[in-house]
Amino acid sequence: METTGTIVSENDMQQKEGSSEEAVQLSIVIPVSGRWGDLRDIYEQHAKEISATGYSCEFIFVLDGPDDRALQALRALKLEHPEILVIALNRWFGEATTLAIGLEHSRGSLVLTLPSYFQVEPFEIRRLPEKLKEGGYDMVVAWRHPRIDPLFNRVQAGIYRWLVALLTTTQYHDVSCGLRVMKRKVIEEIHLYGELHRFLPLLAYEQGFKVAELPVQQSRFDLARRMYEPGIYLRRVLDVLTLFFLIRFTKKPLRLFGLAGSAVSLTGLVILGYLGLNRLLGYAIAGRPLLILGVLLTVLGLQLFSLGLLGELIVFTHARDRKDYQIEEILQ
Amino acid sequence: MSQPTNPRPVLSVVVPLYNEEECVNALYEKIQDVCESLNMSYEIVFVDDGSSDRTAEVLHSIWKRNSSVRVVCFRKNYGQTAAMSAGFTHARGEIIISMDGDLQNDPADIPLLLGKLNDGFDVVCGWRKNRQDKFWTRRVPSVIANWMIGLVTGVRIHDNGCSLKAFRASIIKRVSLYGEMHRFIPAMTTQADARIAEIVVNHHARRFGKSKYGIGRVWRVLLDIITVKLITGFAARPMLWFGFLGFSFLLLALATMFTTQIGSTEFIPEEWTVIYTVAFLFFFLGFYLLALGIIGELSMKTGDFVPVQSLVPAKRKAD
Repeated sequence: METTGTIVSENDMQQKEGSSEEAVQLSIVIPVSGRWGDLRDIYEQHAKEISATGYSCEFIFVLDGPDDRALQALRALKLEHPEILVIALNRWFGEATTLAIGLEHSRGSLVLTLPSYFQVEPFEIRRLPEKLKEGGYDMVVAWRHPRIDPLFNRVQAGIYRWLVALLTTTQYHDVSCGLRVMKRKVIEEIHLYGELHRFLPLLAYEQGFKVAELPVQQSRFDLARRMYEPGIYLRRVLDVLTLFFLIRFTKKPLRLFGLAGSAVSLTGLVILGYLGLNRLLGYAIAGRPLLILGVLLTVLGLQLFSLGLLGELIVFTHARDRKDYQIEEILQ
Repeated sequence: MSQPTNPRPVLSVVVPLYNEEECVNALYEKIQDVCESLNMSYEIVFVDDGSSDRTAEVLHSIWKRNSSVRVVCFRKNYGQTAAMSAGFTHARGEIIISMDGDLQNDPADIPLLLGKLNDGFDVVCGWRKNRQDKFWTRRVPSVIANWMIGLVTGVRIHDNGCSLKAFRASIIKRVSLYGEMHRFIPAMTTQADARIAEIVVNHHARRFGKSKYGIGRVWRVLLDIITVKLITGFAARPMLWFGFLGFSFLLLALATMFTTQIGSTEFIPEEWTVIYTVAFLFFFLGFYLLALGIIGELSMKTGDFVPVQSLVPAKRKAD
């Protein structure tokens, strides 16, 4: 067992180096984080589909955190199929990092990410690289459509989709589907952390890559009703808000905080003006809670505004030379 | 045929283009005619800002035919500031001229700009005195915006929005442009301690396509003006900005408490409550702003920005 920093690799490194000489066309990266199904089934069914396409391919499993049962399953799988690469992380890093590590170790000119459970029918995965080649896209995302899982799942997915579309002004239907294929250059430019893997297609789109959707058939093993703890829902909403800020306001925080701050302050001032008018007309205003609200809103607005100023200052002192653009080509 | 490309030409003309397929050829010919008559080595840097029409193809064919043309293609549309910034980054001349790609600026004005630059200025801005745009939606907002930019930043230019400008490369390459700062380039160049002049230039009505701007960006421009002021005026000393505001609020709070105590006005208990609540809030706001000022200083110290103010004495010593 190899130990490299925080990563414990199960792979015989010499074997990897030996095989790296032959070019790999398609890397399949499977992050195993939290939820996972029968990994042997997943490997065998998808490997069969891929081998039918004639691509030379490699499978990379990345296991997030100490999960003994998953590790055993992967060990057994590795014994049976020595050609796969298994990377086990020694503590919990989250799915985005898990995926990022898998992508880093991949060598294929095309990289396909696959969830560690049946989300989409295996025979569909052949269509993604096809679509990418035909349409000249940089990334193709699966879109589970039509959905066959319970109404509850579809409703919450619909709300999520609406929220993402609203805040990012993009029109993708199923950004968080784990099945996607992308060119190597996409993964080289995108830095994943936290929960950002859910938005990989949107991040790629923001970088100027051509991202397409492909309707695929949802797996018949993915029909359980999914109900999460309230904390999870809150986190999803916060993730979308983070993305919203990252995409729209990274280099202009005052646009957001200044707008919010002045709106809040203005509301406060309107309230104070109204109360001042009352005072002039001879009514007592001292005992009215509205007065406190007005003052508090004014102050809160000022605070938000100054946070925006501070944000601008930080951007200017630390990130002013970060490029706002991606160049496709330069003709000299 | 144009002159052979030098390792470093004297003049770079930077033109950002977004969906200007009809204009590009005419524009190129005009610029080239003017540049040839100048008798100096030059290059033309076109920046294609992710056009969705055939702009990129037209540029490609121009580039193939002319060695003095360089083209930077964006992967998608990033806006005029990004395009300008990329153009400035990739321009190699000692003098850089920027202009719009829609033929509203007249390349024939280039010699005028160069002449003024030779009079000892670092930045020369065009002023579209006879502006050929819609009065209410374009010209009136522009006059107000320019007045406000002058008022807040202290750089009084009639027409900040005119793209036709000339810069010394050593100055403009030191200025970081991001967000939508292309409207404030003259004010931003004060970061580099530039001497700024302006001259009247021609302006033509749009012949092709339609304007890519509209009204409805007033609030964003206002916030951007504040940002520019922050960057040009206070970035080097955040504590001055925040500290001034913070102390104002502290003083206001103290003054309120003091004057109500010594004044002869009688207050009922509810009024005392209100007065003190407000005073305390302002007091806290003052502290909050001072704390932000400290964070600002921290950000300044850890960043890599070297303020002009600290450069000036060194320059004088060299003299």
